[in-house]
Amino acid sequence: MSESLIYAIIIIVYLAILILIGFITGRKTKSVEDFYIGGRQIGPWVTALSFVAAYFSSVVIIGGGGFGYMFGMSTLWIGAINVLLGCTVCWIVLGPRIRKFTQRLNTMTIPGFFGERYKSNFALMFSAIIIVLFMIFYNVSILKGMGHIFEVLMNIPYAYGILLAGVIILFYVSIGGYLAVVWTSFIQAWVMGIGLIVLTIFSIKAIGGIGPANQALEAINPGLINTPGVWGWPGLISFALIVSFGVWGMPQLVVRFYSLKNLKVLKIGTVIATIGTCMALLPYFNGAIARVLCPGLQNPDLAIPTLAKNVLSPFGSAIVLAGVVAAGMSTFASVLIILSSSMIQDIAKKGLKKKLAKGKSLLYSKIASIIIGIVSLIIAFNPPALVLTLTAFAWAVIASTTLWPILFGIYWKKATKMGCIISMVGGFITALGWMVIGKPFGIHGFIPGIIVGLILMILVSLFTPGFSKEHIEKIWG
Amino acid sequence: MGPFHTPWLTFVAWIVAFGCIIFSIIWAIWVFKPKEDDDE
Repeated sequence: MSESLIYAIIIIVYLAILILIGFITGRKTKSVEDFYIGGRQIGPWVTALSFVAAYFSSVVIIGGGGFGYMFGMSTLWIGAINVLLGCTVCWIVLGPRIRKFTQRLNTMTIPGFFGERYKSNFALMFSAIIIVLFMIFYNVSILKGMGHIFEVLMNIPYAYGILLAGVIILFYVSIGGYLAVVWTSFIQAWVMGIGLIVLTIFSIKAIGGIGPANQALEAINPGLINTPGVWGWPGLISFALIVSFGVWGMPQLVVRFYSLKNLKVLKIGTVIATIGTCMALLPYFNGAIARVLCPGLQNPDLAIPTLAKNVLSPFGSAIVLAGVVAAGMSTFASVLIILSSSMIQDIAKKGLKKKLAKGKSLLYSKIASIIIGIVSLIIAFNPPALVLTLTAFAWAVIASTTLWPILFGIYWKKATKMGCIISMVGGFITALGWMVIGKPFGIHGFIPGIIVGLILMILVSLFTPGFSKEHIEKIWG
Repeated sequence: MGPFHTPWLTFVAWIVAFGCIIFSIIWAIWVFKPKEDDDE
């Protein structure tokens, strides 16, 4: 059987399962709350593993391999900080209060939370517009990554690759909404995990063990096994923070806490999510091994696909490919739901006070997800240079805008409406401006963005009027 | 040098990741005690 045929069979079986999940979950999605947050009835395994799948896009796996290839074993720290800050501490600090407060305030979205918590239509609209704008760019980057994977490994033209993945995602998201997203993500997390573990085992076997891998890297350049090594502290720390602490402000991840069945779900969920996120170290580790086993790659992003082809059978390689595609699809689907909710629930219904016909909200939500998906696909066919530039800013800009208003909104009773607004706008402008002027000192725009946002949130809240006792009691109970 | 010819500072990254699993189990079993009325 030819290699391409094996890839095609694995991918077709996998895509057929996703379509089936779309049909099954579609029958259970009857209200807007079902469509956006699964009716707050999601259990620990599905919540935790769908969080992991939404966290790691194909860009992270392919790009992580590229970083490992370029900078060596010090990049393991990015994976470790992902586990510590991006998962364990995030679940413990945000999970319980986000679940409680959003239910008390009866909100289904992050901008909706700002609108109710801070009694601010501006905070709601500003955050929703930033999320819609930059999440579409983020979606384009995910589609682009998937298209290149199809192109390199299966010889499917780029446009056909993104069309295939995009149409299937649009189908199951528009039919089954959030339930389809979390259940497909649950399956996708397993595919990603198995793919990365298989690749790691065979890579270690091929190079003769972890010790010989480190010795071979040291022979190339000792900086490839030392920390911070050839990358240096500023680049390593700021990148690790944006992809870890940034999670705290990313709507497609924070919304997982909205949908929990109850607070007890967090007990098992936190442990499962932490174990699942440990797979974050593997792309970097394998990328570093690829530096030895596949030397001289012109494009470091080909480290993982090339390593898979070199050390695995066509079947094993197809599993890894399916894992990478799964990572992209789960993230794209999660973002699509967020975009739909921001446009319909936040911008149209609450921000612009549009009256939607009774019983039509669910239909509009589905139509919005299809339109946004099609727009992302059209841009991804031939993304303009400006879109590609802004794509790199998406995480930094969104997280700098939303992170402190979320955190202070659930932990500091004195956080005021003006504190929220000024922190949002200041964090946004600083992060975007820093990236536009070319990341001075090699520091990612997220770092100055959150520093400015933090200072503004505290200072402005201290000097502006707070909320009534009734409002605070309504939230805190 | 730490285990597997890995410099200690690099090896600590693995320890941090696996330490998080232990920490999350401890938190789930002994620290986090949601009240019944928290689930509204």
